[in-house]
Amino acid sequence: MSDLPRTPEGFVIAFPPLQGEFPFERDPVIEAYKKDVDRTLIIENLKKTPDERMRQLVTMQRFALELRRAFAGTRD
Amino acid sequence: MPSPEPATDFEGLLRTLVEGAVDFIVVGGVAAKAQGSARYTVDLDVVYSRAPANIVRLVGALDPLQPYLRGAPPGLPFRFDAETVRRGLNFTLQTSRGDLDVLGEIAGGGTYEALRPHAEAGIVFGQPCLCLGLEKLIAVKRAAGRPKDLEAIAELEAIWEERRKRGL
Repeated sequence: MSDLPRTPEGFVIAFPPLQGEFPFERDPVIEAYKKDVDRTLIIENLKKTPDERMRQLVTMQRFALELRRAFAGTRD
Repeated sequence: MPSPEPATDFEGLLRTLVEGAVDFIVVGGVAAKAQGSARYTVDLDVVYSRAPANIVRLVGALDPLQPYLRGAPPGLPFRFDAETVRRGLNFTLQTSRGDLDVLGEIAGGGTYEALRPHAEAGIVFGQPCLCLGLEKLIAVKRAAGRPKDLEAIAELEAIWEERRKRGL
């Protein structure tokens, strides 16, 4: 919903704030994967409401479907 | 040439469950999306309460969508009714609105009742519903221990770090 509170930087406060230290043991394999995570996408998503994030999923879905339609005719 | 399969109607599936007064928690990729994930997902996963009255509401809500076992050959004598749900637990379904996994419990998370304290209320596709919280989502993915989840876990943990950094 657009009336969710935001931080001064524009981040949406959609859920109860996280507290404390990271609650899991650090896994070196996951840490290695984390280096490749595009945090700019996450930061942009955190400026959207959960509902807007879902609408983005539908947009991605339509795009994927359109791509599949477009390329369906190029294969045997 | 076969035409591409229609995409899952997430909004329609959620509306069906909400309007059917089904007690459920959104988990999996859609819950991750609500938390800020940039990853794509193709189906809706929900954990439902196995309370007898809720099972009746669940099958009643989904009945118009002609639920059928996903990937099973056509023509099996499968009926998604209360008896089937009581005798089973987790169902991967195809419906007229797309793919829906209805789960009685999940590894690392347990049942609806066990997950309920870790669920967060939100508006998703205009529907008020419960989504699994970020920390439990990470715990569940870690518990599943599937190599294919490593990228997803890494992203969820990065979301945790970015949220914590910003007091979110």
